[in-house]
Amino acid sequence: MTRTPLRRFADYAVLGVLAFVFVLPVLYLILGSFKPSDQVLNGLTGFLPTHLSFDNYRAVLSSFDSDATGYFWRFMGISLLLATVVVLGGLIVNSMAAYGLTRLRWRGQGAVFALVLLLMLVPFEAVAVPLFYLFNDQRNTVWIQAVPFIANAFSLYQFSTFFRAIPPSIEEAARIDGAGPWRTFFAIVVPMSKPVFASVAILTFLTQWGAFLWPVLMVSDPAVRPLPLEMSVFQGQMPVDWGQVLAFGVLLILPVLIVFAFFQRWFVQGVAGSAVKG
Amino acid sequence: MNPGTPRSRRTAATAAALALPLAALAACGGGSGSGTSAEQGSGTGTITVWAHQGQASEAAALQNAVKTFNSSQKKVKVKLTLIPDTDYTKTITATDAARLPDVMEFDGPTMANFVYNKKLAAIGSYVSAKTLANATPAIKAEGSVDGRQYGLGMYDSGLGVYGNKKLLDAAGITYPKGLSDAWTAAEFTDAVKKLAAKDPDGKSLDLQESNGFANEWGTYGFAPVVWSAGGSLLKNGKAQGALDTPAVASALKTFQSWKKYTDPNTDGNAFAKGRVALSWVGHWMYPAYGKALGKDLVVLPLPDFGNGPKTGQGSWEWGIGANTKNGKAAGAFLDSLLDDTNVTAMTTANGAPPGTRSALTKSSLYKQGGPLQLFADQLAKPCGDRDITKTCVAVTRPVTAGYPTVTAKFSQALSDVYGGADPKTALAKAARAIDQDFSDNDGYQLQ
Amino acid sequence: MTIVNPAPAAPDRRKPSAPATGPEPVRPRRRNRDALHGLLMSAPALGGLIAFVAVPFVYAVVLSFYNVRLGSPLPPRFFGVEQYRRIFTDPDMSGPFLRALLNNLTFAVAVVPLQTGLALALAILLNRKLKAIGVFRSLFFLPVVFPMALVAVIWRLILARSGDGLLNSALHAVSLGHWGAFDWLGDSLTAMASVIVLSVWQGVGFQMVILLAGLQQIPGELYEAAELDRATRWQQFRHVTLPGIRSTLVFVALLTSVLSLRVFDQVYVLVHGGGLDEDATRTVMYQAVTTAFDQNNIGQAAAITVVFFLIVVALTLIQRRVVRPGNED
Repeated sequence: MTRTPLRRFADYAVLGVLAFVFVLPVLYLILGSFKPSDQVLNGLTGFLPTHLSFDNYRAVLSSFDSDATGYFWRFMGISLLLATVVVLGGLIVNSMAAYGLTRLRWRGQGAVFALVLLLMLVPFEAVAVPLFYLFNDQRNTVWIQAVPFIANAFSLYQFSTFFRAIPPSIEEAARIDGAGPWRTFFAIVVPMSKPVFASVAILTFLTQWGAFLWPVLMVSDPAVRPLPLEMSVFQGQMPVDWGQVLAFGVLLILPVLIVFAFFQRWFVQGVAGSAVKG
Repeated sequence: MNPGTPRSRRTAATAAALALPLAALAACGGGSGSGTSAEQGSGTGTITVWAHQGQASEAAALQNAVKTFNSSQKKVKVKLTLIPDTDYTKTITATDAARLPDVMEFDGPTMANFVYNKKLAAIGSYVSAKTLANATPAIKAEGSVDGRQYGLGMYDSGLGVYGNKKLLDAAGITYPKGLSDAWTAAEFTDAVKKLAAKDPDGKSLDLQESNGFANEWGTYGFAPVVWSAGGSLLKNGKAQGALDTPAVASALKTFQSWKKYTDPNTDGNAFAKGRVALSWVGHWMYPAYGKALGKDLVVLPLPDFGNGPKTGQGSWEWGIGANTKNGKAAGAFLDSLLDDTNVTAMTTANGAPPGTRSALTKSSLYKQGGPLQLFADQLAKPCGDRDITKTCVAVTRPVTAGYPTVTAKFSQALSDVYGGADPKTALAKAARAIDQDFSDNDGYQLQ
Repeated sequence: MTIVNPAPAAPDRRKPSAPATGPEPVRPRRRNRDALHGLLMSAPALGGLIAFVAVPFVYAVVLSFYNVRLGSPLPPRFFGVEQYRRIFTDPDMSGPFLRALLNNLTFAVAVVPLQTGLALALAILLNRKLKAIGVFRSLFFLPVVFPMALVAVIWRLILARSGDGLLNSALHAVSLGHWGAFDWLGDSLTAMASVIVLSVWQGVGFQMVILLAGLQQIPGELYEAAELDRATRWQQFRHVTLPGIRSTLVFVALLTSVLSLRVFDQVYVLVHGGGLDEDATRTVMYQAVTTAFDQNNIGQAAAITVVFFLIVVALTLIQRRVVRPGNED
């Protein structure tokens, strides 16, 4: 398909306009986080880069600087720790299971896989109440915030669709060489499945990073609270200081944005890679 | 896998596994007997304290009070934890009584529910007689269930209509001087309309709608409309016949008619910036409004719907956890928290009416002739939560363990009405739902 | 970038739950060994799923037959099907639940085609060899990394009902002052539309990226051949593009519909702090969570959850039915 300069210009114009509309809310968030509250919600002037300062950020950070309120960097640390445990644990556990369920033959495997598909349809909110009852004596621990989210039916399903598409001949060759299922999996299947690992890791990370309902129910101790819970501190003020809310929002997604900036290719291609074949 | 495994056995095992937690549920609920297991303890050592993290200035005042207490004596050390306001009640509800702190703050109307759930101990034997005697009558009423004191507050609350004198005068509107000549609902509506006609954007009223009405603000801010119309949220444990009367429906119809003239106030500055002339809100906006309007600020009672002007009452209170092992130390901390220095520091920070007699008389805001004298006058005529007569003014929200349902259903109805629903239908629905819930819970009788 | 070729997976897809087929003659010994290892490999994940999803869910079914209150001193009382009767037939209590079902359905019916269609359009736009195309891809993908709670806050400000709201002021400027303030979130007519728009904004980049990868799978020769045949752009789209990404499109639509049934976060945040019209936007999950944690009514919340699960299962089965025949060609 040949493209004339005119066509090319038209392409850029359409893309540019669309991207602008798409990015507006993000711009609004970032600009607003540097503005005093009454300048944030002030019609279109909300977009003018005036009255900029770091006051909101300073206020946010200084809201968390004692044992009573907890410390901002500690919340961030807990969130990072939880995300790491859930992502790494999830990658290992779910990929192994997906392999065991799709590439090894054993009785009842079909039924078990059907069960996994069924469990995929249960949203977390649906089991939050009973789960809360069952584990109420584990309140304020780090593990209860992470462990329930490691095994994940959707991740398992993503892995399984990817593994199914691997030609059997590859594994057969490995087996003839005397490799058992574990070695075949870790030495051969895992290295050739990078896209699906990237995809699952990213999705798990994003979901875990924004987790809100479960920590509200299970955590009250500032020493183990994750970051998103603290959003309430700024929304509970009367009147709401929108500048501070937005500054907190920026700080909340900053780690994600940094990861995103560095691993853009992985983000975009990883998500696509595993899912291409449904 | 052995295909011969009797299926019934597996089913039975599963059933047992599932029944276990249910039994545990029952045990941890009903099994703890009639009393709580609070103990006096040695009066020394570390105690844990939970409080809500609301306005930054309040949090600072509280942290300061704790710091002073910790350094003023050696016997008791207080470890304070602040939890964001919006998640606070949920957190206490979700926490098992055994894991609650020695001392905790709670929102006044939620107290009865925590007493019912055995999360609070009566404080009478832990705090000093002097502290108890110094509490204002309204605060005392709010903190007691069945004649026992479970909570005391550092401050109370007041509700009124703030007016912008300049805008009112410009529209030629006369406004009340105090409780005795409060606006009738019709006069109030009339004033709102007249002001709106003179206003560039046609909005003259602020009802603090920006966070919605289907929450505690809805109940606190607008239950006075119900009371002033001669109704109540709950009467003898029933909402039907109290909440859904024609008078209440007609009052809410009036409330509904104000939406047209109401500034959505998303930025919280509608009144301070002079966009509206009237703001229906609590004492907590006084510091901001006073600063913005100075001498042009007037504080008026809520309008009278027939049964006299009414206001809400009550705020955050302090209590002692049902399973504290150190009640004496907890009491000592509460005594310190409720002394004049701390109450004055706190109420200076948040502008609330002090909850103790001695601090109230010293308050420059609430004394006779002070700018918020109206709120003090209102609180001096408490109704309690039952006998809402024509002459009393400050009404306590129903002291019942079923309050979470009462407030959820009422505020939902209010929000629906504001959104355009028929008041009569909405109220009837709310009343039926409340009564159903009470009957499901055997009327929330204390055990 | 490794993209798995859809072709080899096709035979498996017919029966997703069937064991993967190795070469036909399998020695029994190997089978036994596989069984052991298969179980061992699956055990941690299965254990987790059973402990944290299956058991709690079955527990929810049990709870739904009881009158249980959060923290109540009253022992749980057996309630039979009373909770189910209430949410379906009680004139007062069935209202919100049935409305929630309807809202969920509206949301799904609007979001699935809208989001899939927009994602496809964006993917086609981005599937060109232009300079800086990667930047554009990243920009459209950016909202995906935002937690829903934050997305809700941003859009709450954009859609604010006052004249200071961003959308209202923009319309005011564009219409030369003829546009007054409109309550996008609070008006029952536009409340759901607002939720849909912000959800699509947040989620569309994700589907776009998947479809983009699908598009890149289509061999360029097919387009060249089509051009030689003087096919119009529409004909190319109809006869080359669509068949080429059919399976990807089906996957995306399925994924979007499952996710759209679970919608909760944005509604919860906007109702609780954004003046969103509750009745017009409450979803089933919202209903369950507020029943459990605002009204402490665990039994009824459990019943709502169970009904919701059955509906999701039913819809998924129907979808598989509808989609499957086309998927096999």
